[in-house]
Amino acid sequence: MIRIEQLAKQFPAPGTGRGLFKRGRPGVPVQAVADVNLHAPDGQITGLLGPNGAGKTTTLRMLAGLIAPDAGRLTVDGIDVTARPREALARMGVLSDARGLYPRLTARENIVYYGRLQGMDLDAAQARAEALAQMLDMKPLLERRTEGFSQGERMKTALARALVHDPANIVLDEPTNGLDVLATRALRESLRWLRTPAGGAKCIVFSTHIMQEVERLCDSVVLVSHGRTVATGTVAELLAQTGQTDFEEAFVALAFAPDGAAQ
Amino acid sequence: MKGAMNGLKLAWTVYRKEITDALRDRRTLLTVLVSSVMMGPLVLVAISVLVASLESRAELREVVVEGIENAPSLKNFFERQTYTVKAAPAGYEAQLRSATLADPVVVVPKDFEAALLRGEAPIVEIVSDSANQRSLAGASRVQRLLAGFSRERVMLTLALRGVAGDVLEPVQVEDRDLASTQTRATQITGMLPYFVMMAVLYGALNAALDTTAGERERGSLEPLLANPLERWVLVAGKWGAVATVGMLIAVLSSFSFLPGQWVLRSDTLAAMFQYGTREALWFLVVLLPFAAAVSALLMAVAIRCKTFKEAQASATVVMLGASLLPLINVFSLGSDSPWYLWVPALAQNVLMTRVLKGEDFNAMQIGVPLAVCVAVATAGVWFVARTLRGAAVR
Repeated sequence: MIRIEQLAKQFPAPGTGRGLFKRGRPGVPVQAVADVNLHAPDGQITGLLGPNGAGKTTTLRMLAGLIAPDAGRLTVDGIDVTARPREALARMGVLSDARGLYPRLTARENIVYYGRLQGMDLDAAQARAEALAQMLDMKPLLERRTEGFSQGERMKTALARALVHDPANIVLDEPTNGLDVLATRALRESLRWLRTPAGGAKCIVFSTHIMQEVERLCDSVVLVSHGRTVATGTVAELLAQTGQTDFEEAFVALAFAPDGAAQ
Repeated sequence: MKGAMNGLKLAWTVYRKEITDALRDRRTLLTVLVSSVMMGPLVLVAISVLVASLESRAELREVVVEGIENAPSLKNFFERQTYTVKAAPAGYEAQLRSATLADPVVVVPKDFEAALLRGEAPIVEIVSDSANQRSLAGASRVQRLLAGFSRERVMLTLALRGVAGDVLEPVQVEDRDLASTQTRATQITGMLPYFVMMAVLYGALNAALDTTAGERERGSLEPLLANPLERWVLVAGKWGAVATVGMLIAVLSSFSFLPGQWVLRSDTLAAMFQYGTREALWFLVVLLPFAAAVSALLMAVAIRCKTFKEAQASATVVMLGASLLPLINVFSLGSDSPWYLWVPALAQNVLMTRVLKGEDFNAMQIGVPLAVCVAVATAGVWFVARTLRGAAVR
């Protein structure tokens, strides 16, 4: 279960940083996240939907403990991320915006390395790599070095790497970026299975700017725009709220409404 | 306590991965090995070939003369000194300039004998080119030979008049060189420590850049930090791996001089250049802390850079510093100043030069550079650990 309450983060304006060589006129500070709220229960896929620059990636980076928030609270299974980041991270599998692999290591080595970093012993990490390769249909890739992998192959390896310690909470930042239809479908299937009790009834948070993804996959949607949560609910509820039949129209109405109109 | 043990275990995991990664970068490793590790021995062999050619030239006992037919008495003197007189080739000046002629040329004037008899001190030229090292080396030999001729003439003239030859030398001058054989050798082998240090630097460079700026460029640093690790654990593992690669190169290059020594062509040089296992081990005592410090320093410089290329540009400053500082020792004519020991790279050069000279160390000379290396390494690791999180998302 992941809970985000009244999260805010401001980045200093470019040119005002410390250091000898920083020059130029100070710009305006960027309020990347102003007031994001999200509640993602177990056994559900929660979509974090928003246009480009809405603050999705910054929010997820704060959730992964990479950036310290200015205000607000992030908890994972009740553990405060800011206060106990390592305990929180042990309960999360994060597929971040950056998903670089080590090109000179094989896919298996990439996955097992993360398992070891999560504190698993070698045998357990190896077994888990096998199981994930089965689930993600990437067995033939395991012994190949990741240099020269296609986008889809990279994505599968990165996802397996994030899930190696079998976390109860899964956080995915735009996972379908750069994937073709088949790879997207395969990913969707995997996520649906992980949501079921057989798959572990995971709490899955999934950020995207693609409406179709949300419609097909998400149990509930958190819509962010300009760093604020502007609407929360199922797809049907959001349609009802805006009086639209098309989800894209509902999205535009909610995300690009003048401030306060949607609240 | 349990946390620290767990931290070390995780650092070991990071270390093993980074070492595997670095050792699989075969092409880079091979380039470093060929260019830096082989460099020292190759230079050693090149020097030995040069010295050997000078020696063999001296052993040949040849003197090249232009116009020897004008000076039968000089020819007679040369032959009594068991020298072979060779006529100078046509266009010897051009040949000396282009260094195709390796011997200086003695030019005898036409009226040599007549002028000698009249006591007019005929002028004999020794033609060499100061840019032509081999001819220059021969010039002093020929000069001594001609001085011998003059002395003999003087002795004969004085003897004819009943004067003892000793009056010409009221003072006897004798050279006594205090330098040990090894000290003299360092004039030739003085650049070896320099090559070894460069090898260590270039060995550590790629690994250091790859684990920091390389991670950022690949986009693998952000996911890496999403693992529940303390940052010092991660940095310690990475630094350990980079330092190991640097140390590996240090071991290889220090011991590469041992076989290099076997192929020395010059007996004199082989006798002077005493580099055995003991010297190699002393080199390592000096180099291993240096490798550790330089690894941390390079990582600290590179972690601020977003791409490998940018990091290479920044690392140039470190490389330049490390290659210029030892020159203070190479070019300083006086003795070592005490502050040398406090300057990284310079201190290592001073110590390795002492090893080659066969001189001993005191505790201060080992302790100070070691303390400086520990301080640099600690500061570097601390800085990387502090910067890591911010670097991942920028």
